[in-house]
Amino acid sequence: MLEATNELGNVALQAGGTLTDANAAAALAVGLAALGAGYAERGIGSAAVGAMAEDDDLFVNGLILTVLPETIVILALVVVFIV
Amino acid sequence: MSAVGSSNPEYVVARVRARRGSLYGDEEYRKLTRMGPSEIARFMEESSYGADINALGSRHGGVDLIEYALNRNLAEQFDDILDWSEGSLYDLIARYLRKFDAWNVKTVIRGAYTDADQSAIETDLIRAGEFDDRRVRRLLEADSIDAVVEVLEDTIYGDPLREAYAEYEETDVLVPLENAVDRAFYERLLSGLGGDEPTRQYEAFLKAEVDFRNAINALRLARSGADIDPAAYFIEGGDLFTRGSLARLARNLDDLVEYIADSQYGEELGPALRELEEADSLIAFEHATDAALLAYGDRLGTIHPVSVTPVISYILAKEREVENIRAIARGKEAGLSADEIESELVIT
Repeated sequence: MLEATNELGNVALQAGGTLTDANAAAALAVGLAALGAGYAERGIGSAAVGAMAEDDDLFVNGLILTVLPETIVILALVVVFIV
Repeated sequence: MSAVGSSNPEYVVARVRARRGSLYGDEEYRKLTRMGPSEIARFMEESSYGADINALGSRHGGVDLIEYALNRNLAEQFDDILDWSEGSLYDLIARYLRKFDAWNVKTVIRGAYTDADQSAIETDLIRAGEFDDRRVRRLLEADSIDAVVEVLEDTIYGDPLREAYAEYEETDVLVPLENAVDRAFYERLLSGLGGDEPTRQYEAFLKAEVDFRNAINALRLARSGADIDPAAYFIEGGDLFTRGSLARLARNLDDLVEYIADSQYGEELGPALRELEEADSLIAFEHATDAALLAYGDRLGTIHPVSVTPVISYILAKEREVENIRAIARGKEAGLSADEIESELVIT
């Protein structure tokens, strides 16, 4: 992870101090979106497991709600195809 | 589980909300007030109290069965909540639930004082606090107050109890010991609370509770006219009273009622205060403080959905339910009519 950031930093520096390489920027966009989705799923997931522990019927609802933030990553992936 | 790690309000709140849904509503209470003790037990058996009624059904009967089943269920539910929560959430919840530890310590001390049977004391304990089974067992095995104080040496009650014990030995009354336990609990309740918004609201709630307790104590003292120093019963931490103002106000009932009516709680407690002046009924005032706390707790639980406040809101609602069912059962045993019992209930 750290090395990857270093690489990214080098790329950015070589390109003149800003992130001008479109591919690298797209990768960063997807990565950050995935991080955001992961953080959102952390809270929803633990709440869903809590609700399921009380009532088994909530399994389907819990599953759906847990993976909803995944759409952010899918939308971010669109960026990869555009650049 | 413990106070280490990051807090996990999402999980605890989800579980607690599900449990809150199964609490009794108006409809159930109306049914319960028209039942006899054995019918109430049967009604409870079919709801979330089933396991407790079945576990205790062979040993107890009638209203005792209801009472012990309620205590057991309460203890289990609150133990569960403490089990689930981690980090700062655990700390915030444990603060409030330590009141059951204080209750247990007082029960054990009273039991040791009156030489009560060990099993008789055990049935009156509510194992909802932070003390584990081992400590509770050691408390039960302690056959003198001295031994009880020794068992509690390494807890927050250790030092205050040790000091109060010297006073107890001189006077042979339990008041200093019980005051020491209460004060140790209330001191820990409000010390070092964190700074985020839900915690501040929680703190406001705890302060209201301390204020109400002070107000009830002062009203009792003012009404009885007994020659007791009100400052000795003062609990620190509230907004409404200071040690000096409580001591002054407790001498005159009218001043005290006026002071409470003018305070920030005046709106919620106003009708009860008028009733207090007219009918001289302290019970109505106590119910009004309970209802105000419960209403505040309900509101508390909806503003910050992912924080400690919904958990506290559930704990309050559950406590209230247990007290309501107990009031119904005891009222039925004493032969009160359904209307009289309904006036005893606190429902929001």
